[in-house]
Amino acid sequence: MNSGSPVSFDNVSKRFRTPKGTWYQALAGLEFEIKAGEFVSLVGPTGCGKSTALTLLAGLEQPSIGAVNVDGREVDKIETSTGFVFQHDATFPWMSVYNNIAAGPKFRGVKNYDQLVRTWISKVGLTGFESNYPHQLSGGMKKRVALAQALINEPSLLLMDEPFSALDVQTRSIMTDELVSIWETTGSTVVFVTHDLEEAIALSDRVLVLTAGPAKVKADFTINLPRPRKARDIRFTEEFLEIYQDIWSVLRDEVDIAYQRQLVAPGKGK
Amino acid sequence: MVEEFLSEAAIKKNRNKHRVKVHSLQLGLAVLLLGGWQILADHKILDPFFYGRPSGVMHQLGVWITNGTSIGSLWVNAWVTFYEATYGFLAGVILGIIFGVFLARNPTAAEIFAPYIKVSNSIPRVVLGSIFVLWLGLGSVSKVALAFVLVFFPVFFNAFQGTREADHKLIANARLLGASKRQITIKVIFPSALSWITASMHVSFGFALIGAIVGEFLGAQRGLGLLIATAQGNFNPNGVYAAMLIIAIMALSAEWLITKLENRLLNWRPTQISGTEL
Ligand SMILES: Nc1ncnc2c1ncn2[C@@H]1O[C@H](COP(=O)(O)OP(=O)(O)OP(=O)(O)O)[C@@H](O)[C@H]1O
Ligand SMILES: [Mg+2]
Repeated sequence: MNSGSPVSFDNVSKRFRTPKGTWYQALAGLEFEIKAGEFVSLVGPTGCGKSTALTLLAGLEQPSIGAVNVDGREVDKIETSTGFVFQHDATFPWMSVYNNIAAGPKFRGVKNYDQLVRTWISKVGLTGFESNYPHQLSGGMKKRVALAQALINEPSLLLMDEPFSALDVQTRSIMTDELVSIWETTGSTVVFVTHDLEEAIALSDRVLVLTAGPAKVKADFTINLPRPRKARDIRFTEEFLEIYQDIWSVLRDEVDIAYQRQLVAPGKGK
Repeated sequence: MVEEFLSEAAIKKNRNKHRVKVHSLQLGLAVLLLGGWQILADHKILDPFFYGRPSGVMHQLGVWITNGTSIGSLWVNAWVTFYEATYGFLAGVILGIIFGVFLARNPTAAEIFAPYIKVSNSIPRVVLGSIFVLWLGLGSVSKVALAFVLVFFPVFFNAFQGTREADHKLIANARLLGASKRQITIKVIFPSALSWITASMHVSFGFALIGAIVGEFLGAQRGLGLLIATAQGNFNPNGVYAAMLIIAIMALSAEWLITKLENRLLNWRPTQISGTEL
């Protein structure tokens, strides 16, 4: 059991060079704080800068202006106490399911990892597939490999970029519950990106709504639903629907803005 | 509607049928070409003095196998060429991989070496054979050296490119999972460059054989290259073809081995989509 890392974004801006040589501003003065052990979801229209915020948190990129702090220190390199479940498949195609999940412990020189790896394989429901290579798995199974690969290292900060987007509805709700119970035992801080509001509400302590790019925090909702929650059950409660309406009414405007932009300048955003 | 899967036996039967068809057509083509050549030569339409003929090639091979060649036993000569090519090949592959991966991982080093690599790559490498014979003498070392330079560059460029193309997302993931720079090179970069490297190995053994044989042309005491040069000097086209046949067998066996090795190393790759319509 480890404790989570507090996180803060201090007036963070990030711009990228576009292929045309101009600059694209992905984040503009993004500012928020996350307490140690909090589960926070980021929601916002597509292309608004959610993945970018996570890559800054992981130290894979540096902010152009401002500072990203984890554990009270400015992030200036990749921290191995951070776990990252990428939006796009990042499992190693030349490693079997077993070796993919064992990669972290092996890289870190952990001895006797076999039991640990097998436990995680069964937790994500991949028993019997240990020796399959990623190309022999379904999209959802690959996501689960990525999940176990990150979680096995017990990160104090866990970044998840739409980890369940490739899963079918049933598996998704099972994994959501599984994630909550894992998170409750580890106490790590989680930053969770999703397009699924129900998922965000069911999982989170707080939901941050970001503006259409460049991303700023538009609204900050605290979810006071009692824990332990079962995602399958709470989505039909009165409180849940109320929060859903509140968040959606804020998010909808931003989604509209993003959509209008796409109509005006087709293909320019991507 | 439930469609029945074809039984294992039926699949095998289909495949066998296809194979028999392909092989018999291949054989037919060979008979046509060789038979045509033989008939044209027998009727002096193709002068056998210059063009030789299949029966002459077989006869030449028979003589070499039973009585040896003018420069000693056939097997010894074939063996010499084979090991010159193999040594050059192995050295070129190993050093090509090491340099390629190293330079791709160290941009500053790559920048420093870039002009030297460009210049040495632009020299027609076969010319180096003469220099190697002067430096290293008529023995096998000069041939190994020529085979080496012919193999080194393609493997080097492929290893370099393969390393450069390694997926950044996977490298980032490995680093977050706790991999050191060394572990990343061995566990992430190398495997992802491997399909590039094995692709270059297929052509490289051919280059190694060229290196060994050209080296023997330029000056040697033994080897198939010398055998060909001698046969050419004696106006013996059948001798040239016979030696070529042995070289072809060598190249094909090496290719077969490399394919085996490749399938083993890259067994994690999805099998290629196959089908007659592709
Ligand atoms: N390396 C880069 N170079 C140039 N532009 C980039 C780069 N990375 C991201 N962008 C741009 O920054 C914007 C934000 O991208 P980001 O991936 O953070 O969006 P997102 O909110 O995760 O979207 P989605 O929900 O679709 O995943 C996009 O418009 C994208 O084109
Ligand atoms: Mg994204």
